[in-house]
Amino acid sequence: MATITGVLARPTAYSGVWSWLTTVDHKRIGVLYGSTALLFLLVAGLEAGVLRAQLARPDNTMVDGKTFNAMFTMHATTMIFMAIMPMSVAFFNFVVPLAIGARDVAFPRLNAFSYWVFLFGALLMHASFVVGQVPDAGWFSYANLTSRAFSPNSGLDFWSVGLLVMGSSSVAGALNFVVTIVNMRAPGMSLWRMPVFVWMTLLTSILLVLAFPVITVGLIELTMDRNFGTNFFNTTAGGDPVLWQHLFWVFGHPEVYILILPAMGIVSEVLPTFSKKPLFGYPVVIFSGIVIAIMGWAVWSHHMFTVGLGPVANSVFTITTMLIAVPTGVKIFNWIGTMWGGSLEFKTPMLFAVGFIALFIIGGLSGVSHAVSPSDFQQQDTYYIVAHIHYVLFGGSIFGVFAGIYYWFPKLTNRLLGEGLGKLHFWLMFIGMNITFFPMHFAGLDGMPRRIYTYPAGYGWEIYNMISSFGYLLLFIGFLVFAHNIFRSLKKGQEAGHDPWDAPTLEWSIASPPPAYNFAEIPHVRGRDHYWIVKREAQAAGQPAPGPEPLAAPGSVHMPSPSYWPLVTAVGVAWIGGGLMIHFDLPYIKFPISFLGGLIAFIGVVGWSNEPTSAPDAHHGGHGAAQGAQH
Amino acid sequence: MAHAAEAVHHAEATTTGLNHRKLLMWVFLGSDCLFFGALIATYMVYRGQSVNGPYPTDILNIPVTTISTFVLLCSSFAMVQALAATNRNDQKGIKIWLLATALLGTTFLLFQAYEFYTFSIGEGLYIYTNLFGSTFFTLTGFHGAHVTLGVVWLMSLFIIAFKGRLGPSTALDVEIAGLYWHFVDIVWIVIFTLVYLIGGYDAGPAATGVFIGPLSSVLPV
Amino acid sequence: MGFLPFRSRSVKGGAAGIPPQGFRPRLRRRPSLALLAAMAVLALLVACSPQSHMSTWEVFGPVARDQLQLFNVLLWVMVVVFVLVEGILLYAIIRFRRRPGQALPHQTHGNTPLEITWTIIPTILILGVGGWSVATLFRLDKPPASAGTPLEVTVTGHQWWWEFEYPNADGAGKVITTANELRVPVARPINITLHSDDVIHSFWVPKLAGKMDVIPTRTNHMWFQADATGTYYGQCAELCGVIHALMKFRVQALSQADYDAWVAGYGQPPQLSAQANQGRAVFQGAGTCTVCHTATGPDNPAVVAGRVAGFNSGGAIAPGPNLTDLATRSSFAAGTVDPLNRDNLAKWLHNPNDLKPGNHMAARAKALYQDRGSVKLSDAQVSDLIEYLLSLK
Repeated sequence: MATITGVLARPTAYSGVWSWLTTVDHKRIGVLYGSTALLFLLVAGLEAGVLRAQLARPDNTMVDGKTFNAMFTMHATTMIFMAIMPMSVAFFNFVVPLAIGARDVAFPRLNAFSYWVFLFGALLMHASFVVGQVPDAGWFSYANLTSRAFSPNSGLDFWSVGLLVMGSSSVAGALNFVVTIVNMRAPGMSLWRMPVFVWMTLLTSILLVLAFPVITVGLIELTMDRNFGTNFFNTTAGGDPVLWQHLFWVFGHPEVYILILPAMGIVSEVLPTFSKKPLFGYPVVIFSGIVIAIMGWAVWSHHMFTVGLGPVANSVFTITTMLIAVPTGVKIFNWIGTMWGGSLEFKTPMLFAVGFIALFIIGGLSGVSHAVSPSDFQQQDTYYIVAHIHYVLFGGSIFGVFAGIYYWFPKLTNRLLGEGLGKLHFWLMFIGMNITFFPMHFAGLDGMPRRIYTYPAGYGWEIYNMISSFGYLLLFIGFLVFAHNIFRSLKKGQEAGHDPWDAPTLEWSIASPPPAYNFAEIPHVRGRDHYWIVKREAQAAGQPAPGPEPLAAPGSVHMPSPSYWPLVTAVGVAWIGGGLMIHFDLPYIKFPISFLGGLIAFIGVVGWSNEPTSAPDAHHGGHGAAQGAQH
Repeated sequence: MAHAAEAVHHAEATTTGLNHRKLLMWVFLGSDCLFFGALIATYMVYRGQSVNGPYPTDILNIPVTTISTFVLLCSSFAMVQALAATNRNDQKGIKIWLLATALLGTTFLLFQAYEFYTFSIGEGLYIYTNLFGSTFFTLTGFHGAHVTLGVVWLMSLFIIAFKGRLGPSTALDVEIAGLYWHFVDIVWIVIFTLVYLIGGYDAGPAATGVFIGPLSSVLPV
Repeated sequence: MGFLPFRSRSVKGGAAGIPPQGFRPRLRRRPSLALLAAMAVLALLVACSPQSHMSTWEVFGPVARDQLQLFNVLLWVMVVVFVLVEGILLYAIIRFRRRPGQALPHQTHGNTPLEITWTIIPTILILGVGGWSVATLFRLDKPPASAGTPLEVTVTGHQWWWEFEYPNADGAGKVITTANELRVPVARPINITLHSDDVIHSFWVPKLAGKMDVIPTRTNHMWFQADATGTYYGQCAELCGVIHALMKFRVQALSQADYDAWVAGYGQPPQLSAQANQGRAVFQGAGTCTVCHTATGPDNPAVVAGRVAGFNSGGAIAPGPNLTDLATRSSFAAGTVDPLNRDNLAKWLHNPNDLKPGNHMAARAKALYQDRGSVKLSDAQVSDLIEYLLSLK
């Protein structure tokens, strides 16, 4: 044991590159997730730019079909798996331990491992651009277009192996958050006192844990079909391409809620804060979240109404899908109920939260119209669907994410993001989003199929596409304004203080940025909106509002030490995937390389399990009142 | 003493009183249920759909696999004994039962290796031969991989036990390995029932005896 | 605070980062001009929505009509809900903005009767619409018996064109194979059976009926009926590879007499000029057009099976459109080249990639085409060939 751990001296750096590579601090890992996600948001946004440029005019020949297909495939895959999901995970990481009064997540090294595996998986998939064989079968890559016969180059191998690697990261991360939320709440924080964002994190994590294995099996089957000659989706051997659709959407529909529930959680935090009023109908909001998470498993075939499952199946999925609109609608009413009678202050986070509600209503309504399968027979696979998904994922998830960034950035950095720039950003996004995506409803109802790289003049689609492409420019400028705001605020943003918004939750009771250990003393939670209770009591008693919790004496709080092993293990896992990527014609290279990856991962795991969480020579101060643990 | 996270395994106060790692294992097993669920579903959907042989009825050797199933079941018994020995600090018992569990698991794997060998080299059923080959080898192969991981885990525990570092205070380490081991065992019972006992006499698409037929008959048509 | 960019005043934090307790709102309230402008533009768009070949708004058959009817009702429900909910939201935004010196608002935590109400009302609304959709779904499953005997057509999707086979085109057992232009008699239900030889496609003629996927290993069914004669545009709606965008087709709804005449004429030996006769020789020459195409009546299933097998194993062969009635069509190359005339045929034959980049003809017909798609035949041979093709009526 000592021999293996002794190979690498325990990292000790708390700043510099090495400190980031070996960090196990949930806040720093959150920053890593967040910045990576924003980078991929930019990449996917640029890919969307190619799509909009190509479609701006009829009969455009800027790119060919192959490039166009690659662009929309990577745009969607990147947005979903490498931008929105990791952005949500960034918030899970940064916010959840702070909001439940914990010092870190349950498994800090597993958390670091999740990030590195995600990063390497994303890079692996993007390596497809380097070799010029980019995935091009759409983000749900329907079999049997994905078989070697119809997609001979390695693009889809990058896609499936990349997703497998990222999937293992998601499951590892989600396991961690389930345990953290179930097991590490501060005393007094019962489930019914948890902030809504934490609840939504819990539900999202459970969905991740249960949904990802299903797509993992689908991806394994696809990878084996393409590389080992199996017959899962081989139609000449009796394989059924529709099996892929079932596996994909059994995962894919919960995935939709994986993308939207965190944003709903963020909005449920932002609205009460800026309305100065607790969330309206907290139990109902939580309960509808639970209902959505359960019913999300019973609606997958609404993506497959035109597959020919027959009227009985289509009826069942029509009804279940329409019913899932009820808890979603209830949430919207509760958010409006929160604002009703409140004292609304339209800071940027609030603007994005209200924008979320306004746009999500549209996405929800158009969703109902294609939940109705007879009506969906006309809308399926048209731009109407593209409009819907963007109202839900852009107007929904991304607006929620931006609300969260503006809301928690001051906690992370002790600096406020610029309000003026923030508002400009919001309006560019809000207007640009509607100009880009609203005309797509019309294009779709006028019969424009999605995923076509060109269309002739005279079909009546020109005007809508031109407007959409113009809207893209606004969105892009909006993103630049946002990026500028971030960099500007990091350098010379206004100091935020520990509680700039008079917020109700625990994370605002400590200093900004939070110390490594978060809470010097683990708080005793006195109710929902704990920090409001504390502050208003002080106010009622005529005392000044409480300041941030004083910092602990140096070394008095024992925290997990940084570690190399998560990174080493992640390199091994990604290496296995990379080895599998080498084309089947070279099995004698492929397997040794993958084996080497397995060896690296194995060494990582052994080192990891033999290494104590905290370095033995770390300080053991005498600070008391932790979680009751005794030595 | 203020400890964050997983620092102290044995004296950890958690919200639910359940240890972090134990909870992690339970949630992971939930996740793994869906993994095997999807693999088994694929197998069942493709039962009787192979357009060419060999078919299950041609090659599955149910008596032999019954023996290997029995061996795996016995290993679960040994696992229970290992945990009991750990709890009562019976150092000899810990080593014997851990080793027994690992050896029984290894025996199961040898049976599987024998099965794979006779099916492929002997009977000409490879993973690419037909749908049966693809689904059978993938399903049982991933189960075998789980068993292999379990054996490696048990052997690591055995080494730790050999150094005398397992006992009541570290019984959780054994218990968690046991959770995993029993789960893998239970999954095999499902696979054995569905693939061998119920599906063992399947033939090609024209043959009868397929109770779960093509995808269109399981899923709503 | 400010609702428009750059209009807010910065909040001066209280001492030691304590949030300000007094609020300085802007008194001027103005609805967002930008939002109103955007809505006006959109309203204008709806008002002058251009005519479209593929519009789901202009329906010409019972299936599309019922589907549109359902959508129209949904649309009104959606508009009402939209106006109502966004209206309430907008009202809340304006009415409850923070005012100077405002005390802490009343801290409500919920209102159970209200919450039950807004759960039950949508549920009832949705179950109502749901019941109607289920009824529509079952009603549209098969053509009504009262509509008469349907005409059976088998549609096969290929990368990237459509094959139409009539097992009994005239009621007397005449078999017809044609491609990319589906001729049907007006006012008669058409039963469509869908197959695919390669990947998943989706058969869609918006003005006649919603789409149905075309899936290898599966047989799907749908039906439609055209109420008026005319040309209806269709297009593949499921991503099927590089030039999915160029996999179109047309439905020609003909009067019964025109349809009968087409059926009767199909497969009759064409009148060939001398030049066309030379063209036929080119067409039928060893290793040329007949490898993939048939021009002398319905396809022979065994020949087609050979082409499909050859294509799937990567051979210099592909299932090609049946050309027996080519000259009667208005367009070719799966509806992407319009009209079908001498010039366009010449362009096509010289290099198919110019008109439909990425199609299988240039790539697979290695005996006839260079790697980049230009034809190996002489100009004279090409004009003979065109003469022959234009005689195929």
